Amino acid sequence: MGMAIRIRMLSEPYMQRALLVALCMGPLCALMGVFVTARRMAFFSDTISHGALAGVALGFWMGFSDPTVPMIVFSLMVAGVLVWLQENTELLSDTILAVVLSGSVALGIVILSSLKGYRGEIQSYLFGDILAIGWADLRLGFVLLVVVSFGLFSNLTRLTLVTAHPELAHSCGVPVRILNYVFVVALTFVVTLSIRLLGIILVTSLLVIPPAAARSLSCNLRQQICFSVLLGLVASLGGVVGSYHFDAPCGPMIVLVCLVLFVAAFLFGRLKGRVRP
Amino acid sequence: MKASTHAGLSRAGAVPPVIEARGVEVTISGHPILKGVDLLIPGGQVVALIGPNGSGKTTLLRALLGLQSVDRGQILLFGQPLDRRVLRRVAYVPQKLAMESGFALSVREFLALASDRALHWFWKSHAALDKLLMPAVEEVQIVDLLDRPLAKLSGGQFQRVMVAFALLRNPDLLLLDEPTAGVDAPGEYTFYELIGELQRRRGLTVVLVSHDLSMVYRHATMVYALNGVICCEGKPEDVMNADSLKRAYGIHVAPYQHHHHHGHGHSHPHVE
Repeated sequence: MGMAIRIRMLSEPYMQRALLVALCMGPLCALMGVFVTARRMAFFSDTISHGALAGVALGFWMGFSDPTVPMIVFSLMVAGVLVWLQENTELLSDTILAVVLSGSVALGIVILSSLKGYRGEIQSYLFGDILAIGWADLRLGFVLLVVVSFGLFSNLTRLTLVTAHPELAHSCGVPVRILNYVFVVALTFVVTLSIRLLGIILVTSLLVIPPAAARSLSCNLRQQICFSVLLGLVASLGGVVGSYHFDAPCGPMIVLVCLVLFVAAFLFGRLKGRVRP
Repeated sequence: MKASTHAGLSRAGAVPPVIEARGVEVTISGHPILKGVDLLIPGGQVVALIGPNGSGKTTLLRALLGLQSVDRGQILLFGQPLDRRVLRRVAYVPQKLAMESGFALSVREFLALASDRALHWFWKSHAALDKLLMPAVEEVQIVDLLDRPLAKLSGGQFQRVMVAFALLRNPDLLLLDEPTAGVDAPGEYTFYELIGELQRRRGLTVVLVSHDLSMVYRHATMVYALNGVICCEGKPEDVMNADSLKRAYGIHVAPYQHHHHHGHGHSHPHVE
Protein backbone atom coordinates (compact mmCIF):
# COMPACT_ATOMS: atom_id res chain seq x y z
CA MET A 1 0.00 0.00 0.00
CA GLY A 2 1.50 3.30 -1.07
CA MET A 3 2.09 6.13 1.39
CA ALA A 4 -0.21 8.44 -0.54
CA ILE A 5 -3.10 6.00 -0.46
CA ARG A 6 -2.58 5.38 3.22
CA ILE A 7 -2.67 9.11 3.99
CA ARG A 8 -5.72 9.64 1.81
CA MET A 9 -7.50 6.77 3.55
CA LEU A 10 -6.75 8.12 7.00
CA SER A 11 -7.77 11.67 6.07
CA GLU A 12 -11.30 10.59 5.17
CA PRO A 13 -13.48 11.29 8.21
CA TYR A 14 -15.68 8.25 7.55
CA MET A 15 -12.58 6.05 7.45
CA GLN A 16 -11.35 7.52 10.73
CA ARG A 17 -14.71 6.68 12.30
CA ALA A 18 -14.80 3.21 10.79
CA LEU A 19 -11.27 2.38 11.91
CA LEU A 20 -11.94 3.64 15.42
CA VAL A 21 -15.17 1.65 15.67
CA ALA A 22 -13.29 -1.42 14.40
CA LEU A 23 -10.64 -0.72 17.04
CA CYS A 24 -13.35 -0.86 19.72
CA MET A 25 -15.67 -3.60 18.49
CA GLY A 26 -13.16 -6.07 17.01
CA PRO A 27 -11.33 -6.81 20.26
CA LEU A 28 -14.54 -6.58 22.29
CA CYS A 29 -16.39 -9.14 20.14
CA ALA A 30 -13.37 -11.43 20.22
CA LEU A 31 -13.11 -11.12 24.00
CA MET A 32 -16.78 -11.92 24.59
CA GLY A 33 -16.56 -14.60 21.94
CA VAL A 34 -14.22 -16.71 24.09
CA PHE A 35 -17.10 -17.18 26.53
CA VAL A 36 -19.85 -17.19 23.90
CA THR A 37 -18.29 -20.14 22.07
CA ALA A 38 -17.43 -22.03 25.25
CA ARG A 39 -21.01 -21.63 26.46
CA ARG A 40 -22.39 -22.72 23.06
CA MET A 41 -24.11 -19.38 22.59
CA ALA A 42 -23.03 -18.69 18.99
CA PHE A 43 -26.51 -19.42 17.63
CA PHE A 44 -28.00 -17.41 20.49
CA SER A 45 -26.05 -14.33 19.43
CA ASP A 46 -26.98 -14.98 15.80
CA THR A 47 -30.64 -14.92 16.81
CA ILE A 48 -30.15 -11.65 18.66
CA SER A 49 -28.50 -10.06 15.61
CA HIS A 50 -31.28 -11.25 13.31
CA GLY A 51 -33.78 -9.89 15.79
CA ALA A 52 -32.16 -6.52 15.14
CA LEU A 53 -33.51 -6.61 11.57
CA ALA A 54 -37.06 -6.43 12.90
CA GLY A 55 -35.89 -3.67 15.27
CA VAL A 56 -34.45 -1.67 12.37
CA ALA A 57 -37.65 -2.17 10.35
CA LEU A 58 -39.84 -1.11 13.26
CA GLY A 59 -37.60 1.90 13.78
CA PHE A 60 -38.03 3.09 10.18
CA TRP A 61 -41.73 2.33 10.30
CA MET A 62 -42.11 4.45 13.44
CA GLY A 63 -40.24 7.26 11.72
CA PHE A 64 -36.81 7.12 13.36
CA SER A 65 -34.13 8.41 10.99
CA ASP A 66 -31.46 6.51 12.94
CA PRO A 67 -32.95 3.21 14.14
CA THR A 68 -30.14 2.39 16.62
CA VAL A 69 -32.37 2.79 19.69
CA PRO A 70 -35.29 0.67 18.43
CA MET A 71 -32.77 -1.88 17.17
CA ILE A 72 -31.17 -2.23 20.63
CA VAL A 73 -34.55 -2.28 22.37
CA PHE A 74 -35.96 -4.95 20.07
CA SER A 75 -32.84 -7.11 20.33
CA LEU A 76 -33.03 -6.89 24.13
CA MET A 77 -36.65 -8.02 23.89
CA VAL A 78 -35.64 -10.93 21.67
CA ALA A 79 -32.92 -11.89 24.18
CA GLY A 80 -35.48 -11.70 27.00
CA VAL A 81 -37.90 -13.94 25.11
CA LEU A 82 -35.12 -16.46 24.40
CA VAL A 83 -34.03 -16.63 28.03
CA TRP A 84 -37.61 -16.87 29.25
CA LEU A 85 -38.42 -19.71 26.85
CA GLN A 86 -35.22 -21.55 27.77
CA GLU A 87 -35.98 -21.29 31.47
CA ASN A 88 -39.71 -21.91 31.43
CA THR A 89 -40.40 -24.43 28.67
CA GLU A 90 -39.08 -27.85 27.84
CA LEU A 91 -38.44 -26.89 24.22
CA LEU A 92 -34.97 -27.68 22.93
CA SER A 93 -32.65 -24.72 22.92
CA ASP A 94 -31.98 -24.71 19.18
CA THR A 95 -35.67 -25.14 18.42
CA ILE A 96 -36.37 -21.97 20.42
CA LEU A 97 -33.57 -20.13 18.62
CA ALA A 98 -34.75 -21.21 15.17
CA VAL A 99 -38.35 -20.16 15.90
CA VAL A 100 -37.38 -16.73 17.21
CA LEU A 101 -34.76 -16.14 14.51
CA SER A 102 -37.01 -16.93 11.58
CA GLY A 103 -39.91 -15.12 13.23
CA SER A 104 -38.04 -11.86 13.71
CA VAL A 105 -36.47 -11.96 10.23
CA ALA A 106 -39.91 -12.53 8.71
CA LEU A 107 -41.38 -9.66 10.71
CA GLY A 108 -38.52 -7.38 9.68
CA ILE A 109 -38.84 -8.18 5.98
CA VAL A 110 -42.61 -7.84 5.91
CA ILE A 111 -42.40 -4.40 7.52
CA LEU A 112 -39.52 -3.24 5.32
CA SER A 113 -41.19 -4.36 2.11
CA SER A 114 -44.22 -2.27 3.00
CA LEU A 115 -41.98 0.80 3.28
CA LYS A 116 -40.67 2.55 0.16
CA GLY A 117 -37.09 3.59 -0.45
CA TYR A 118 -35.18 1.64 2.19
CA ARG A 119 -33.49 -0.88 -0.10
CA GLY A 120 -30.03 0.65 0.29
CA GLU A 121 -30.44 0.91 4.04
CA ILE A 122 -31.33 -2.76 4.29
CA GLN A 123 -28.23 -3.71 2.33
CA SER A 124 -26.08 -1.70 4.72
CA TYR A 125 -27.65 -3.31 7.79
CA LEU A 126 -27.38 -6.80 6.35
CA PHE A 127 -23.73 -6.64 5.29
CA GLY A 128 -22.21 -3.76 7.22
CA ASP A 129 -21.32 -0.37 5.78
CA ILE A 130 -18.40 1.80 6.80
CA LEU A 131 -20.02 4.86 5.23
CA ALA A 132 -22.96 4.53 7.60
CA ILE A 133 -20.87 4.66 10.77
CA GLY A 134 -21.46 7.92 12.62
CA TRP A 135 -19.80 9.63 15.57
CA ALA A 136 -22.64 8.39 17.77
CA ASP A 137 -21.73 4.79 16.89
CA LEU A 138 -18.14 5.50 17.81
CA ARG A 139 -19.09 7.03 21.16
CA LEU A 140 -21.35 4.08 21.98
CA GLY A 141 -18.70 1.59 20.86
CA PHE A 142 -16.07 3.21 23.05
CA VAL A 143 -18.33 3.31 26.11
CA LEU A 144 -19.25 -0.33 25.51
CA LEU A 145 -15.60 -1.35 25.16
CA VAL A 146 -14.72 0.28 28.48
CA VAL A 147 -17.79 -0.90 30.42
CA VAL A 148 -17.97 -4.47 29.12
CA SER A 149 -14.26 -5.24 29.29
CA PHE A 150 -14.05 -3.76 32.79
CA GLY A 151 -17.10 -5.77 33.87
CA LEU A 152 -15.76 -8.92 32.28
CA PHE A 153 -12.30 -8.71 33.78
CA SER A 154 -13.56 -7.82 37.23
CA ASN A 155 -15.88 -10.85 37.11
CA LEU A 156 -13.46 -13.11 35.27
CA THR A 157 -13.26 -15.72 38.03
CA ARG A 158 -17.03 -16.02 38.31
CA LEU A 159 -17.63 -16.01 34.58
CA THR A 160 -14.96 -18.65 33.99
CA LEU A 161 -16.39 -20.83 36.72
CA VAL A 162 -19.91 -20.56 35.29
CA THR A 163 -18.55 -21.38 31.85
CA ALA A 164 -16.63 -24.39 33.13
CA HIS A 165 -19.40 -25.79 35.32
CA PRO A 166 -22.56 -23.85 36.25
CA GLU A 167 -23.49 -26.11 39.16
CA LEU A 168 -20.00 -26.05 40.59
CA ALA A 169 -20.11 -22.26 40.27
CA HIS A 170 -23.40 -22.21 42.14
CA SER A 171 -21.95 -24.35 44.91
CA CYS A 172 -19.11 -21.84 45.19
CA GLY A 173 -21.58 -19.03 45.85
CA VAL A 174 -21.57 -17.49 42.36
CA PRO A 175 -24.96 -15.88 41.57
CA VAL A 176 -25.24 -17.92 38.37
CA ARG A 177 -28.60 -16.62 37.21
CA ILE A 178 -27.85 -12.94 37.64
CA LEU A 179 -24.48 -13.40 35.97
CA ASN A 180 -26.20 -15.08 33.00
CA TYR A 181 -28.67 -12.23 32.63
CA VAL A 182 -25.94 -9.62 32.76
CA PHE A 183 -23.90 -11.58 30.24
CA VAL A 184 -26.87 -11.78 27.85
CA VAL A 185 -27.53 -8.04 28.13
CA ALA A 186 -23.87 -7.22 27.51
CA LEU A 187 -23.81 -9.63 24.57
CA THR A 188 -26.92 -8.01 23.09
CA PHE A 189 -25.33 -4.56 23.21
CA VAL A 190 -22.07 -5.82 21.72
CA VAL A 191 -23.86 -7.67 18.92
CA THR A 192 -26.24 -4.86 17.97
CA LEU A 193 -23.53 -2.21 17.99
CA SER A 194 -21.32 -4.37 15.81
CA ILE A 195 -24.02 -4.56 13.14
CA ARG A 196 -22.94 -1.26 11.55
CA LEU A 197 -19.53 -2.76 10.97
CA LEU A 198 -20.32 -6.39 10.18
CA GLY A 199 -23.93 -6.54 9.19
CA ILE A 200 -26.71 -8.60 10.72
CA ILE A 201 -25.82 -11.74 8.80
CA LEU A 202 -22.12 -11.82 9.65
CA VAL A 203 -21.86 -10.31 13.11
CA THR A 204 -21.54 -13.71 14.80
CA SER A 205 -18.37 -14.45 12.84
CA LEU A 206 -16.36 -11.98 14.89
CA LEU A 207 -17.63 -13.65 18.07
CA VAL A 208 -16.75 -17.15 16.89
CA ILE A 209 -13.76 -17.14 14.52
CA PRO A 210 -11.15 -15.26 16.60
CA PRO A 211 -11.64 -17.40 19.75
CA ALA A 212 -11.63 -20.57 17.64
CA ALA A 213 -8.43 -19.50 15.90
CA ALA A 214 -6.91 -18.50 19.24
CA ARG A 215 -7.70 -21.94 20.63
CA SER A 216 -5.31 -23.53 18.11
CA LEU A 217 -2.52 -21.30 19.36
CA SER A 218 -3.02 -21.47 23.11
CA CYS A 219 -2.43 -23.84 26.00
CA ASN A 220 -4.49 -21.95 28.54
CA LEU A 221 -7.33 -19.48 28.90
CA ARG A 222 -5.09 -16.46 29.41
CA GLN A 223 -3.39 -17.12 26.08
CA GLN A 224 -6.70 -17.79 24.39
CA ILE A 225 -8.13 -14.48 25.59
CA CYS A 226 -5.03 -12.53 24.53
CA PHE A 227 -4.74 -14.17 21.10
CA SER A 228 -8.45 -13.85 20.48
CA VAL A 229 -8.43 -10.11 21.26
CA LEU A 230 -5.39 -9.64 19.04
CA LEU A 231 -6.88 -11.60 16.15
CA GLY A 232 -10.20 -9.74 16.52
CA LEU A 233 -8.33 -6.44 16.33
CA VAL A 234 -6.32 -7.44 13.25
CA ALA A 235 -9.38 -8.85 11.48
CA SER A 236 -11.62 -5.84 12.09
CA LEU A 237 -8.99 -3.26 11.13
CA GLY A 238 -7.88 -5.37 8.17
CA GLY A 239 -11.46 -5.77 7.04
CA VAL A 240 -12.16 -2.03 7.17
CA VAL A 241 -9.02 -1.27 5.19
CA GLY A 242 -9.90 -4.03 2.72
CA SER A 243 -13.40 -2.65 2.36
CA TYR A 244 -11.91 0.76 1.44
CA HIS A 245 -9.53 -0.68 -1.11
CA PHE A 246 -11.81 -3.14 -2.83
CA ASP A 247 -14.95 -1.03 -2.44
CA ALA A 248 -16.62 -4.07 -0.92
CA PRO A 249 -19.03 -4.31 2.02
CA CYS A 250 -17.20 -4.17 5.31
CA GLY A 251 -18.70 -7.27 7.00
CA PRO A 252 -17.66 -9.82 4.39
CA MET A 253 -14.15 -8.30 4.25
CA ILE A 254 -13.73 -8.69 8.03
CA VAL A 255 -14.97 -12.28 7.84
CA LEU A 256 -12.52 -13.08 5.03
CA VAL A 257 -9.61 -11.69 7.05
CA CYS A 258 -10.88 -13.72 10.05
CA LEU A 259 -10.91 -16.85 7.91
CA VAL A 260 -7.38 -16.32 6.66
CA LEU A 261 -6.22 -15.90 10.26
CA PHE A 262 -8.21 -18.96 11.31
CA VAL A 263 -6.64 -21.18 8.65
CA ALA A 264 -3.16 -19.85 9.46
CA ALA A 265 -3.69 -20.45 13.20
CA PHE A 266 -5.08 -23.91 12.55
CA LEU A 267 -2.11 -24.91 10.40
CA PHE A 268 0.33 -23.40 12.86
CA GLY A 269 -1.35 -25.24 15.74
CA ARG A 270 -1.20 -28.51 13.82
CA LEU A 271 2.46 -27.99 12.97
CA LYS A 272 3.33 -27.19 16.56
CA GLY A 273 1.41 -30.27 17.69
CA ARG A 274 3.37 -32.48 15.27
CA VAL A 275 6.74 -31.20 16.35
CA ARG A 276 5.95 -31.51 20.06
CA PRO A 277 3.56 -34.42 20.45
CA MET B 1 -30.00 -52.63 61.60
CA LYS B 2 -33.03 -50.45 61.88
CA ALA B 3 -35.02 -49.10 59.00
CA SER B 4 -35.14 -45.32 58.93
CA THR B 5 -34.87 -44.47 62.59
CA HIS B 6 -32.42 -42.10 64.09
CA ALA B 7 -32.64 -43.38 67.61
CA GLY B 8 -29.00 -44.38 67.70
CA LEU B 9 -27.65 -41.23 66.14
CA SER B 10 -29.59 -38.44 67.77
CA ARG B 11 -27.81 -39.06 71.06
CA ALA B 12 -24.62 -37.64 69.50
CA GLY B 13 -24.52 -34.76 72.00
CA ALA B 14 -24.38 -30.99 71.79
CA VAL B 15 -22.52 -30.85 68.48
CA PRO B 16 -25.17 -30.54 65.77
CA PRO B 17 -25.06 -33.21 63.09
CA VAL B 18 -23.29 -32.17 59.90
CA ILE B 19 -26.37 -32.98 57.84
CA GLU B 20 -29.90 -33.08 59.12
CA ALA B 21 -32.83 -33.55 56.76
CA ARG B 22 -36.42 -33.92 57.82
CA GLY B 23 -39.23 -35.04 55.56
CA VAL B 24 -37.59 -33.76 52.40
CA GLU B 25 -39.88 -34.00 49.39
CA VAL B 26 -38.90 -33.09 45.84
CA THR B 27 -41.06 -33.41 42.75
CA ILE B 28 -39.49 -32.90 39.34
CA SER B 29 -41.85 -32.27 36.40
CA GLY B 30 -44.70 -34.08 38.05
CA HIS B 31 -42.68 -37.07 39.26
CA PRO B 32 -42.13 -37.38 42.98
CA ILE B 33 -38.42 -38.14 43.35
CA LEU B 34 -37.86 -37.71 47.08
CA LYS B 35 -40.87 -38.73 49.18
CA GLY B 36 -39.95 -37.72 52.68
CA VAL B 37 -36.26 -38.28 53.24
CA ASP B 38 -34.87 -38.16 56.77
CA LEU B 39 -31.13 -38.01 57.27
CA LEU B 40 -28.95 -37.48 60.28
CA ILE B 41 -25.26 -37.60 59.52
CA PRO B 42 -22.75 -36.98 62.29
CA GLY B 43 -19.31 -35.53 61.57
CA GLY B 44 -16.22 -37.44 60.50
CA GLN B 45 -17.93 -40.15 58.49
CA VAL B 46 -17.55 -41.41 54.95
CA VAL B 47 -21.20 -41.78 54.02
CA ALA B 48 -22.36 -43.58 50.89
CA LEU B 49 -25.76 -42.97 49.32
CA ILE B 50 -26.74 -46.02 47.31
CA GLY B 51 -29.86 -46.94 45.42
CA PRO B 52 -31.12 -47.81 41.95
CA ASN B 53 -31.30 -45.38 39.03
CA GLY B 54 -34.00 -42.80 39.61
CA SER B 55 -34.01 -43.39 43.36
CA GLY B 56 -33.15 -39.75 43.98
CA LYS B 57 -29.50 -40.03 45.05
CA THR B 58 -28.29 -37.20 42.88
CA THR B 59 -31.43 -35.15 43.60
CA LEU B 60 -30.78 -35.50 47.32
CA LEU B 61 -27.17 -34.43 46.87
CA ARG B 62 -28.30 -31.44 44.81
CA ALA B 63 -30.83 -30.53 47.48
CA LEU B 64 -28.07 -30.62 50.11
CA LEU B 65 -26.14 -28.12 47.96
CA GLY B 66 -29.12 -25.83 47.43
CA LEU B 67 -29.05 -26.63 43.71
CA GLN B 68 -32.45 -28.29 43.92
CA SER B 69 -35.33 -26.52 45.62
CA VAL B 70 -37.21 -28.59 48.16
CA ASP B 71 -41.02 -28.75 48.02
CA ARG B 72 -41.44 -29.85 51.60
CA GLY B 73 -39.29 -30.58 54.61
CA GLN B 74 -36.14 -29.02 55.90
CA ILE B 75 -32.42 -29.38 55.43
CA LEU B 76 -29.90 -28.18 57.98
CA LEU B 77 -26.15 -28.24 57.51
CA PHE B 78 -24.08 -27.83 60.67
CA GLY B 79 -27.37 -27.06 62.41
CA GLN B 80 -28.17 -24.10 60.14
CA PRO B 81 -30.50 -23.65 57.20
CA LEU B 82 -28.85 -23.54 53.79
CA ASP B 83 -27.48 -20.12 52.99
CA ARG B 84 -24.37 -18.76 51.41
CA ARG B 85 -22.43 -18.75 54.67
CA VAL B 86 -23.12 -22.38 55.44
CA LEU B 87 -22.47 -23.42 51.86
CA ARG B 88 -19.00 -21.92 52.13
CA ARG B 89 -18.13 -24.89 54.37
CA VAL B 90 -19.30 -27.35 51.72
CA ALA B 91 -17.40 -28.45 48.63
CA TYR B 92 -18.91 -30.31 45.74
CA VAL B 93 -17.26 -32.74 43.34
CA PRO B 94 -19.56 -33.02 40.31
CA GLN B 95 -19.96 -36.08 38.17
CA LYS B 96 -18.55 -34.84 34.92
CA LEU B 97 -17.57 -31.78 33.04
CA ALA B 98 -19.88 -30.35 30.42
CA MET B 99 -17.18 -28.02 29.15
CA GLU B 100 -16.33 -27.48 25.51
CA SER B 101 -12.82 -28.39 24.45
CA GLY B 102 -12.85 -25.07 22.60
CA PHE B 103 -12.34 -23.43 25.99
CA ALA B 104 -8.64 -23.49 26.74
CA LEU B 105 -8.92 -23.30 30.56
CA SER B 106 -5.92 -25.11 32.06
CA VAL B 107 -5.94 -27.12 35.26
CA ARG B 108 -3.83 -24.42 36.95
CA GLU B 109 -6.29 -21.70 35.97
CA PHE B 110 -9.25 -23.80 36.97
CA LEU B 111 -7.82 -24.47 40.42
CA ALA B 112 -7.07 -20.78 40.84
CA LEU B 113 -10.82 -20.15 40.56
CA ALA B 114 -11.31 -22.02 43.84
CA SER B 115 -8.87 -19.98 45.87
CA ASP B 116 -9.97 -16.61 47.21
CA ARG B 117 -6.37 -15.53 47.32
CA ALA B 118 -5.90 -16.19 43.59
CA LEU B 119 -8.76 -13.88 42.65
CA HIS B 120 -6.77 -11.95 40.09
CA TRP B 121 -5.28 -15.08 38.56
CA PHE B 122 -5.32 -13.62 35.06
CA TRP B 123 -2.62 -11.15 36.00
CA LYS B 124 -0.51 -13.49 38.16
CA SER B 125 2.50 -15.53 37.08
CA HIS B 126 2.38 -19.32 37.03
CA ALA B 127 4.92 -19.44 39.85
CA ALA B 128 2.79 -17.19 42.05
CA LEU B 129 -0.31 -19.28 41.38
CA ASP B 130 1.53 -22.53 42.01
CA LYS B 131 2.58 -21.28 45.41
CA LEU B 132 -1.07 -20.76 46.37
CA LEU B 133 -2.25 -24.03 44.88
CA MET B 134 0.59 -26.30 45.86
CA PRO B 135 -0.53 -27.89 49.13
CA ALA B 136 -3.78 -29.20 47.64
CA VAL B 137 -2.16 -30.07 44.33
CA GLU B 138 0.50 -32.17 46.05
CA GLU B 139 -2.02 -33.77 48.38
CA VAL B 140 -3.99 -35.08 45.40
CA GLN B 141 -0.85 -35.74 43.31
CA ILE B 142 -1.70 -33.77 40.20
CA VAL B 143 1.43 -31.63 39.90
CA ASP B 144 2.08 -32.99 36.40
CA LEU B 145 -1.41 -32.01 35.24
CA LEU B 146 -1.23 -28.27 35.97
CA ASP B 147 -0.48 -27.22 32.39
CA ARG B 148 -3.03 -29.52 30.78
CA PRO B 149 -6.32 -28.20 29.39
CA LEU B 150 -9.15 -29.14 31.74
CA ALA B 151 -11.41 -30.32 28.93
CA LYS B 152 -8.93 -32.98 27.82
CA LEU B 153 -8.36 -34.88 31.05
CA SER B 154 -9.28 -38.52 31.48
CA GLY B 155 -12.06 -39.44 33.92
CA GLY B 156 -9.66 -40.30 36.75
CA GLN B 157 -7.49 -37.22 36.26
CA PHE B 158 -10.57 -35.02 36.17
CA GLN B 159 -11.84 -36.42 39.46
CA ARG B 160 -8.51 -35.74 41.15
CA VAL B 161 -8.52 -32.18 39.85
CA MET B 162 -12.07 -31.72 41.15
CA VAL B 163 -11.03 -33.00 44.57
CA ALA B 164 -8.09 -30.57 44.61
CA PHE B 165 -10.52 -27.80 43.70
CA ALA B 166 -12.74 -28.85 46.59
CA LEU B 167 -9.82 -28.96 49.05
CA LEU B 168 -8.70 -25.46 48.07
CA ARG B 169 -11.99 -24.21 49.48
CA ASN B 170 -11.12 -25.75 52.88
CA PRO B 171 -14.44 -27.50 53.34
CA ASP B 172 -15.81 -29.30 56.39
CA LEU B 173 -18.19 -31.31 54.24
CA LEU B 174 -17.32 -32.88 50.92
CA LEU B 175 -20.12 -34.04 48.61
CA LEU B 176 -19.24 -36.29 45.67
CA ASP B 177 -21.64 -37.29 42.91
CA GLU B 178 -20.73 -40.65 41.33
CA PRO B 179 -17.06 -39.77 41.66
CA THR B 180 -15.74 -42.79 39.82
CA ALA B 181 -18.14 -43.01 36.89
CA GLY B 182 -15.95 -43.62 33.87
CA VAL B 183 -12.84 -44.48 35.90
CA ASP B 184 -11.20 -47.90 35.57
CA ALA B 185 -11.05 -50.31 38.50
CA PRO B 186 -7.49 -49.59 39.74
CA GLY B 187 -8.13 -45.87 39.35
CA GLU B 188 -11.31 -46.26 41.34
CA TYR B 189 -9.52 -48.09 44.12
CA THR B 190 -6.82 -45.43 44.48
CA PHE B 191 -9.43 -42.70 44.28
CA TYR B 192 -11.37 -44.08 47.24
CA GLU B 193 -8.11 -44.63 49.13
CA LEU B 194 -7.36 -40.95 48.55
CA ILE B 195 -10.80 -39.89 49.79
CA GLY B 196 -10.42 -42.02 52.92
CA GLU B 197 -6.98 -40.56 53.58
CA LEU B 198 -8.18 -36.98 53.12
CA GLN B 199 -11.11 -37.67 55.41
CA ARG B 200 -8.81 -38.91 58.18
CA ARG B 201 -6.18 -36.23 57.72
CA ARG B 202 -8.55 -33.28 57.50
CA GLY B 203 -11.36 -34.60 59.69
CA LEU B 204 -13.84 -34.05 56.88
CA THR B 205 -17.29 -35.46 56.55
CA VAL B 206 -17.66 -37.09 53.16
CA VAL B 207 -20.94 -37.94 51.46
CA LEU B 208 -20.75 -39.77 48.17
CA VAL B 209 -23.28 -41.11 45.73
CA SER B 210 -22.18 -44.40 44.27
CA HIS B 211 -23.30 -47.25 42.11
CA ASP B 212 -20.43 -49.50 42.98
CA LEU B 213 -21.47 -51.51 45.99
CA SER B 214 -18.17 -53.32 46.46
CA MET B 215 -16.32 -50.00 46.72
CA VAL B 216 -18.94 -48.68 49.11
CA TYR B 217 -18.59 -51.79 51.20
CA ARG B 218 -14.88 -51.35 51.47
CA HIS B 219 -14.57 -47.61 51.98
CA ALA B 220 -17.74 -46.20 53.54
CA THR B 221 -18.29 -45.99 57.30
CA MET B 222 -22.04 -45.44 56.89
CA VAL B 223 -24.44 -46.42 54.16
CA TYR B 224 -27.87 -45.02 53.32
CA ALA B 225 -29.96 -46.99 50.83
CA LEU B 226 -32.35 -44.67 49.06
CA ASN B 227 -35.42 -45.35 47.01
CA GLY B 228 -37.55 -42.23 47.24
CA VAL B 229 -37.19 -42.59 51.00
CA ILE B 230 -34.31 -43.92 53.07
CA CYS B 231 -34.97 -47.67 53.05
CA CYS B 232 -32.17 -48.64 55.36
CA GLU B 233 -29.18 -47.12 57.02
CA GLY B 234 -26.26 -48.18 59.13
CA LYS B 235 -22.81 -49.66 58.85
CA PRO B 236 -21.95 -51.24 55.52
CA GLU B 237 -21.87 -54.76 56.94
CA ASP B 238 -25.38 -54.24 58.35
CA VAL B 239 -27.00 -52.59 55.37
CA MET B 240 -25.36 -54.47 52.58
CA ASN B 241 -27.05 -57.79 52.74
CA ALA B 242 -29.39 -59.23 50.17
CA ASP B 243 -32.44 -58.73 52.33
CA SER B 244 -32.22 -55.00 52.94
CA LEU B 245 -30.88 -54.26 49.49
CA LYS B 246 -33.92 -55.90 48.02
CA ARG B 247 -35.94 -53.29 49.85
CA ALA B 248 -33.94 -50.50 48.18
CA TYR B 249 -33.48 -51.94 44.73
CA GLY B 250 -36.77 -53.80 44.56
CA ILE B 251 -35.13 -56.76 42.84
CA HIS B 252 -33.23 -59.76 44.02
CA VAL B 253 -29.64 -58.78 44.67
CA ALA B 254 -27.33 -61.77 44.66
CA PRO B 255 -24.59 -61.83 47.28
CA TYR B 256 -21.26 -62.89 45.89
CA GLN B 257 -17.88 -63.79 47.29
CA HIS B 258 -15.55 -60.87 47.03
CA HIS B 259 -11.84 -61.47 47.53
CA HIS B 260 -10.26 -58.79 49.62
CA HIS B 261 -6.59 -58.04 49.74
CA HIS B 262 -6.49 -59.18 53.30
CA GLY B 263 -7.26 -62.76 52.44
CA HIS B 264 -10.65 -63.89 53.63
CA GLY B 265 -13.64 -63.63 51.40
CA HIS B 266 -16.59 -61.53 52.49
CA SER B 267 -20.05 -62.31 51.38
CA HIS B 268 -21.58 -59.10 50.15
CA PRO B 269 -24.02 -58.17 47.51
CA HIS B 270 -23.70 -57.24 43.92
CA VAL B 271 -26.31 -55.67 41.73
CA GLU B 272 -26.54 -56.81 38.14
